[in-house]
Amino acid sequence: MADIIEMDRIVKIFPPSLVALDAVSVKFAKGEIHAIVGENGAGKSTLMKILYGMQPADSGEMVYNGKKVKFSDPGEAILAGIGMVHQEIMLIPQYTVWENVVLGYEPVKFGGRLDVKKARELVKQKIDEFGFNLNADAKVEDISVAARQKVEILKLLFRNVSVLIMDEPTSVLTPQEIPQLFGELKRLRDNGHTILFISHHLEEVLELSDRITVLRKGKKVGTIKTAEATKAGLAQMMVGREVIFDSIRKNQTAGAVLFQTTALNYTDPDKRPRLIDVNIQVRAGEIVGVAGVEGNGQLELVNLIMGLIEPTSGSIKAVGEDITRKPILEKRKRVAFVPQDRANMGASISANIAENVIMTHHRLDQRFTRWAGRILDFKQAASFTDEVRRKFDIQMSSGEAVFKSLSGGNQQKVILGRELLLEAPFILLDQPTRGLDVGSIEYVHQRIIDMRAQKRGILMISADLEELFRLTDRIVVMHKGRVVADLVTEKTNVTEVGYLMLEGAAYEA
Amino acid sequence: MKRKILVNVVGVLLAFLLGAVVMLVQGYNPLETYYRLFEYSLAPGKIAYTLSKSVPLVLTGMSASVAFASGPINLGQPGQLLMGALLATIGGLYIDLPPLLMIPFLLILAMLGGALWSGVAALLKYWFNMSEFITTLMLNMIADFFTYWAINYPFFEANANHPQTPFIAKSGWMPEWGNFNSSVIVMVLAFGVIWFIVNRSTAGYEWRLSGQNSLFSRLGGVNISKNYLVVMLLTGALAGLAGGLVVMAGPHRFIKDIGGNYAWDGVMIAMVANSGIILTLVFGFFFSVLQTGSLGMELITAVPKELIQVLQAVIVLIVVAGRGYFETFFAKLEARRKMRERIA
Repeated sequence: MADIIEMDRIVKIFPPSLVALDAVSVKFAKGEIHAIVGENGAGKSTLMKILYGMQPADSGEMVYNGKKVKFSDPGEAILAGIGMVHQEIMLIPQYTVWENVVLGYEPVKFGGRLDVKKARELVKQKIDEFGFNLNADAKVEDISVAARQKVEILKLLFRNVSVLIMDEPTSVLTPQEIPQLFGELKRLRDNGHTILFISHHLEEVLELSDRITVLRKGKKVGTIKTAEATKAGLAQMMVGREVIFDSIRKNQTAGAVLFQTTALNYTDPDKRPRLIDVNIQVRAGEIVGVAGVEGNGQLELVNLIMGLIEPTSGSIKAVGEDITRKPILEKRKRVAFVPQDRANMGASISANIAENVIMTHHRLDQRFTRWAGRILDFKQAASFTDEVRRKFDIQMSSGEAVFKSLSGGNQQKVILGRELLLEAPFILLDQPTRGLDVGSIEYVHQRIIDMRAQKRGILMISADLEELFRLTDRIVVMHKGRVVADLVTEKTNVTEVGYLMLEGAAYEA
Repeated sequence: MKRKILVNVVGVLLAFLLGAVVMLVQGYNPLETYYRLFEYSLAPGKIAYTLSKSVPLVLTGMSASVAFASGPINLGQPGQLLMGALLATIGGLYIDLPPLLMIPFLLILAMLGGALWSGVAALLKYWFNMSEFITTLMLNMIADFFTYWAINYPFFEANANHPQTPFIAKSGWMPEWGNFNSSVIVMVLAFGVIWFIVNRSTAGYEWRLSGQNSLFSRLGGVNISKNYLVVMLLTGALAGLAGGLVVMAGPHRFIKDIGGNYAWDGVMIAMVANSGIILTLVFGFFFSVLQTGSLGMELITAVPKELIQVLQAVIVLIVVAGRGYFETFFAKLEARRKMRERIA
């Protein structure tokens, strides 16, 4: 196969000293699906953004179709035939599919007026040509996320792009929607398109791609043929050591009920019901997972438990006490909380690490204050920060360093350390591993399992089914604000949970 | 830390350079002018006067710094200063105690006056969820005209040809030794207390973190609305204290326009200081050097003292803009060094 793109010794440094790409050279062949894998921060997205003209490289060269190129913005790349579909979908929801597709590239009639008829016809032709299951006249706000993604791809195809870059396209899809996307991508490849596919899901990569390039910490580890790759081998290439993927629970009988929501209802200020009759129970020594497509009530559930909003009716009990309308500090005596949004809910990124570590502790543990709680004991804060650093294996220069100077994984470890050392019997985890690399995920999972062994009760919200199946004892599925199923993890499977997430009704095999 | 000092020093020097250009264009000698400026404000015997003049600047500056760093955008220092000054004056007109009791008593009245006024804004937020950004600004106008009315009617000095009150009791005058006014001692004490509260107390820790990220602090169990109220009252009290001291150290009565431009300068100082307590003290004194020196400058050279206002504004612009720019500049420098290492 002829190489369509050659990237030669690309270097990218993010000031002041983060080397995102360290002389990475990679070749992409015409008509292949080439996966680019690596942990978070390995440089996958940066490499693709440089190719697509979104970011300039600090040094290195690119050859495309035999010619040396340098794109200074995505427009130039698209004109040359390279297009990228981003993780976040960028369409105009009020416009129809065909309107979105032609936007910025409209066929015009005499005098510069939009040729509606022709535009619509052209889009329909493209849909048929590539066998996409799409209605050109549907409004984008009415179609599913998977369909929107197709519109994004169609948009690029309409501009006659021959190289498609897909940045983690499956992250927004449910398990059922993924095979369809893969089928379409394969059809595009057979049509002569080249597809560059960024992912950190090894299973997908193995299923879809022809070749795989692995990046680790800004360096290329290697490019291998998918036919010769194994999951364990790839994982080892990615992290530089072996990772275990199997369930890591040990058998253990759960204790008394630690946490319970009873007939919890929440109607938002716009009078829309967000949570309907939610009953969830968590016992001591038990991990309960909350599965669901994002936006089905998980956010409201977390905000209710933490006291950011008040329920319309129903109650929340933790450790034998009704905490529904208690002040947050009172809740925090019983509830540890790891939020999904580190920068906004989990930390003050411009404060130093020690200041972040003692939050909540400073009110609940008397050793951090003197003069009846009025004066902070900074020596205690420093030694506690050091304790968290040791116990949670955090890479940091000192407790005085500003929180945002830490890497994502280390930030999460600081938050996790602070919350788990609160010694609260009940732990609420909201997407505790989102955005972390494989090594950090593994670490966080182990700590969660430790908490289970300590007989704490854990409620974990996660969009990652693999994670839920790995850790939980039970899984409750949320759909449109209701709990539609309460399943024992060992007696269910990914297909069933995925189906419930999507349809809300029981799956019939 | 070193970098922080550098940014401020370079910013000030650049501002002086720009000021020099302005003077050159107008045909003045900048070196001579700057020499006179500092000679007049920093020479032995003058420095005590400059220090005394810095009191309202530092106090209103700290008021703004503490508020901005903790979240509430209290821009009501001008009004709070006036209300503090008025309450202290009223106390001094009707009550007479021995100085050792009188001075603390009037200072407390002044703080009460300021806190009362910022408290109104806090209550408006609590009851009607009105932003203090707007209400404190509006309350400035009300305080302005209310105090003007007060010194024209109920507390007007009979037969005066100018809106002013009579003198307050002598026991309430801040003692003065030569050019050194004891209000400086009050300022230094207030600085110590505020520094300690912000940097060492549990409340100060919570204020700082809420100022940076209020959602995080709330989830951490911090009582945001209580802290909001306390910060509003405290920063109002600081501005009120400035007002009381202006009366007690200066004309010893409330005269029209007694607040001058102190409070707005204080807000400006808080901005240059990036809401840091120590930097507020430093810049408060520095602005006083400029303002005191400008008089000497105008006396000896022909440069109008308004030039100093230009200089102040340029300092604010350059230091504040520079803070962001320097960060990127140093980051880029570091990146280039790494790059060279990699190529070598």
